[in-house]
Amino acid sequence: MSDQPNQVPPAAPEAAPAPSTPRAEGHPSGGASRREGFSGGGGGGQRREGGPGGPGGAGGPRRGGNRQFFRKQKVCRFCVERVDLIDYKKVEMLQPFLQERGKILPRRMTGTCSRHQRWLGEAIKRARNIALLPFATEL
Amino acid sequence: MEERLYDLIFICRPATPEEEINKIVATLEHSATEHGGKVEKTEKWGARRLAYRVEKHREGFFVYMVVRGTQGNIIKELERRLKVSDAVIKYQTIRLDEELKRQQKLVHHRERRASRRPRKQAPPAPQQQVPPPAEQTAAG
Repeated sequence: MSDQPNQVPPAAPEAAPAPSTPRAEGHPSGGASRREGFSGGGGGGQRREGGPGGPGGAGGPRRGGNRQFFRKQKVCRFCVERVDLIDYKKVEMLQPFLQERGKILPRRMTGTCSRHQRWLGEAIKRARNIALLPFATEL
Repeated sequence: MEERLYDLIFICRPATPEEEINKIVATLEHSATEHGGKVEKTEKWGARRLAYRVEKHREGFFVYMVVRGTQGNIIKELERRLKVSDAVIKYQTIRLDEELKRQQKLVHHRERRASRRPRKQAPPAPQQQVPPPAEQTAAG
């Protein structure tokens, strides 16, 4: 009598973990890559996702499509338009890169490349200095 | 000496009469030429809303100038004059020539790169083959 209960429970857990482990692995790896993608920014995000995604599970990327892992790759708007000089006097051009309260949007949100983000930040700060753009919006 | 190019913007009180603004612009031009520089362009942007309050004003009359000079002295003098005048509530000078130089360099680079390999720019033929066997193996 005592053997039977002992035998039965091990059998059930053994059967259960086998299929569940790959899934369990898939979840954390997916979560990690997603977080990395956010902090890494537009360009590096995709490459980094490929690294941990490989060993994490072959099914990872494909399942990811359904689980909103996939993000549209963002492209630097200034690179596309071949901008060599960001004019601080063109406020309409700078405005899309500001939050509602007047903060500069980070690169990971807009997809701007590092060089253009640097120029953009400088231009926005110049425009702020001469009261073309706000430091912080008053409410 | 190398030439320098500056952007100069100043903001006057919205109630300032037009003649006074003209007077300020004239004195700036005069002192620029005195110091061996030149005002290349003067634009009146007119009354604009300020992004934040400056000396309790929410609006201001913007004047934009481009100044060419050989020394930093000229800016020192122009800024001193702006600081002294009562009608001006804000001003900013920015040195532009180095950025313009950088821009020209980039344009030059791009042109050279484009001229070096004009034929290779043809896009490769799109090869989109749907691989159904790969999916099956992965699923199995």
